[in-house]
Amino acid sequence: MPVEVEVDVSAGLPGFSIVGLPDAAVQEARERVKVAISNSGYKFPTKKVIVNLAPAHLRKEGPAFDLPIALAVLAVSGAVPAESLKDAGIVGELSLDGGLRGVRGALCMAEGARREGLQRLVLPVSNANEAASIGGVKVYGIRTLREAVDFLCGGNEVVQAVAEESDRSESVETAEDFADVAGQRFARRALEVAASGGHNVLMSGPPGSGKTMLARRLPGILPPLTLDESIQVTKVHSAAGEGKGALIHARPFRAPHHTISTSGLAGGGSNPRPGEVSLAHHGVLFLDEFPEFNRATLEVLRQPLEDGHVTISRVAATLSYPARVTLVCSMNPCPCGYAGDKRRACRCSAGQIERYQGRISGPLLDRIDLFVDVPRLTRQELRGGEAAEPSSVIRERVAAARETQTLRQGVPNSTLAGARLREACALRGDSEALFGAAIDRMGLTGRSHDRVLRVARTIADLDGAGEIAVEHLAEALNYRRSSFLDR
Amino acid sequence: MTGRERSAYLFLSLLQARTGTSFVARIGDIPVAEIPEMSAAELGHRVRMTERAARAFDDLRRDFDPTAIIDGLEQRGISAVTLADPEYPERLGAVPDPPPALFVDGELPASSYPAVALVGSRKASVSGLDAARSLGRALGERGAYVVSGLALGVDAAAHEGALEAGGPAVGVLGCGIDVVYPRSNRRLFERVRENGAVVSEYYLGEAPLAWRFPARNRIIAGLCDTVVVVEAAEKSGALITARHALDAGGDVWAVPGPPGLPECRGSNKLIADGAGCIWDVPEFVESVAPEPPETASTDEETSLSVSVPAGLPEGEAAALAGVGFEPTGVDAVAGRSGLRMQELLSALALLELKGYVHRDGSGAFVRRAGG
Repeated sequence: MPVEVEVDVSAGLPGFSIVGLPDAAVQEARERVKVAISNSGYKFPTKKVIVNLAPAHLRKEGPAFDLPIALAVLAVSGAVPAESLKDAGIVGELSLDGGLRGVRGALCMAEGARREGLQRLVLPVSNANEAASIGGVKVYGIRTLREAVDFLCGGNEVVQAVAEESDRSESVETAEDFADVAGQRFARRALEVAASGGHNVLMSGPPGSGKTMLARRLPGILPPLTLDESIQVTKVHSAAGEGKGALIHARPFRAPHHTISTSGLAGGGSNPRPGEVSLAHHGVLFLDEFPEFNRATLEVLRQPLEDGHVTISRVAATLSYPARVTLVCSMNPCPCGYAGDKRRACRCSAGQIERYQGRISGPLLDRIDLFVDVPRLTRQELRGGEAAEPSSVIRERVAAARETQTLRQGVPNSTLAGARLREACALRGDSEALFGAAIDRMGLTGRSHDRVLRVARTIADLDGAGEIAVEHLAEALNYRRSSFLDR
Repeated sequence: MTGRERSAYLFLSLLQARTGTSFVARIGDIPVAEIPEMSAAELGHRVRMTERAARAFDDLRRDFDPTAIIDGLEQRGISAVTLADPEYPERLGAVPDPPPALFVDGELPASSYPAVALVGSRKASVSGLDAARSLGRALGERGAYVVSGLALGVDAAAHEGALEAGGPAVGVLGCGIDVVYPRSNRRLFERVRENGAVVSEYYLGEAPLAWRFPARNRIIAGLCDTVVVVEAAEKSGALITARHALDAGGDVWAVPGPPGLPECRGSNKLIADGAGCIWDVPEFVESVAPEPPETASTDEETSLSVSVPAGLPEGEAAALAGVGFEPTGVDAVAGRSGLRMQELLSALALLELKGYVHRDGSGAFVRRAGG
């Protein structure tokens, strides 16, 4: 939503007021603008100055209005030709010496400018690269108020910022690598499958078995972000004030602590900011110590996991942020953590274990396709085995599998359900017989039945197979949920 | 036996459930029929009673109505078997503090059939559960009563095995027999009630208090000729049951576990101390529940086989060779078998479906001993 800055200077006692629902930071613009104008060598009119920010019903927040207000005042006093401000988007925070500071949300503003059909966008040089990456609008990065005035007067040439063609592959490579993981071949394979089909994962294992270390490496084997995805990710981060001043190329990895509040996870505040689930958009949301999270807090994940976005309603505004994440959860098998561990006895009673495992929200569990047990490895197991594969090799297989899915159904396998699931995962002959046996002997319920099919589809895609064969289905059965109390 | 004695024992049963102490063991030569007619003070002269017990005694005596209780029970199909009744299990009557009354929904074991208690850890390993199940099944096939505590783990597995084979099962509870505890056993509870009996020394509605569980173990031991400990740590209820059985002159057997494993130390030690060692299920069943020879046939399947069965595809055979009788993690199996992870995973699932291996709750695989 664009905000128009109107300035009126009239006779009367000298004064400066801003109207149009400004918040405290906007009110303070009065002082910054006044001082910055005089420190840049211009004269602030000694008359009654009224600034109106239209539309008046919208709450204005933050210091990004400093520069447009200053330029509008200067336009009234004649230092800047009013014509030059037409069709220009102007954003920036002023410092007292007339310099410009970066603002948050530059990418969103650039997108807004393009949508409104503005010709050019003038903003602080530190935001220029980020804003330019959106394309479709000329972006000019400037350093001081004076430079802005000169530019608008047509006096000096400001280089138009262009989107940097940075080496994207490099930024993906900097993530932690699977080559450093010793052993845990089962968990690695599970994460490869998860990455390939966009499946959510729950890892269960005693403390120190490496669950967090494994989860951190998942973004590195996901296919690189496309330009479009990069822009979306950067927009969310920029809206949260976490922008790095350039496009984000690496898949986000967010690991909120289990004490996180509902608004921290979903987003919130009177002018809602994106929460962790949105900051993990197109990346990985890692919930360590899953059962320790507040159940009510986790409930807010249901909408994003289903629809890929999260809607936050507050007094000031109702906003929808994107939130398409791969959810990775980790938990101990029991309160003390050592149930099933070979080297340390578990101290928990059967009832305690049942209660601990029952603490996990059922609806959320239904959205998890892969359940992986991560045991603590012995020293020999850590040392033995073949050399670990680097993430880049895994990533190529994952990308190929994703490609197959996009060609077949346009979405990752994890979102398959109902008729589309049955169509994509049709079983024939041997595999159908095997599945029947599995349902009987392993006691698969309707839901876990669908999960196994989805995962089997992904495994077949990784294998480059058109149909789900016996070995794909059989492997998928290993990722079904097991409780420590199950037989 | 007079009705007075029956109701006196019923009275003592309710009293003991309240106070948690055994009066039957202490009343000595007082004629039991007179007890409900005495006041707490009178009884206190002859039997040491705490003040709390005396209060409970008076409270209970005030509105004690044995006919109402017994009628109420009969309407629900529950019988009360007291120490005064001939149906009272003989061996149980001989223990130092026999329960004054048993509340029974179903049929108590008839003395003409062998009754075997299968007890063990609530958190047993897959191999332990497997052993309990196949023991239960083998005993059930012989028509022997399988008696257990209806707890999780070994108790439940033993009963499930017995019921699968169509044998009678008796569950002894540490609470009133209308209280299902633990609740996750509800379905098993119903099936045991239908195919045998649910027994408790506590009146309907009594809660599963912690002290009642060790106490019910003497009933398990008292109902059986033989007690089998499947998997027990050094301090466990199963060992209490075994001790009760030894005190009462019963036989004790144990299933051997891997040496040193904390979960098996109790049961292994029993073997070291002279308990029977169950190294083979048919052999054991033959000695506790002998049967005419013509039906003893399918033994081969239930005996432990260490080698890999013939006829398995190469990959599955390699995977099976990598799985031990102790729970083995997938990564360890991968190291032993030398298969690629995806090949191994599909082989393991197929083996699981064919019944050669079992996956436990921590994701580890274990070889199954027989069907």
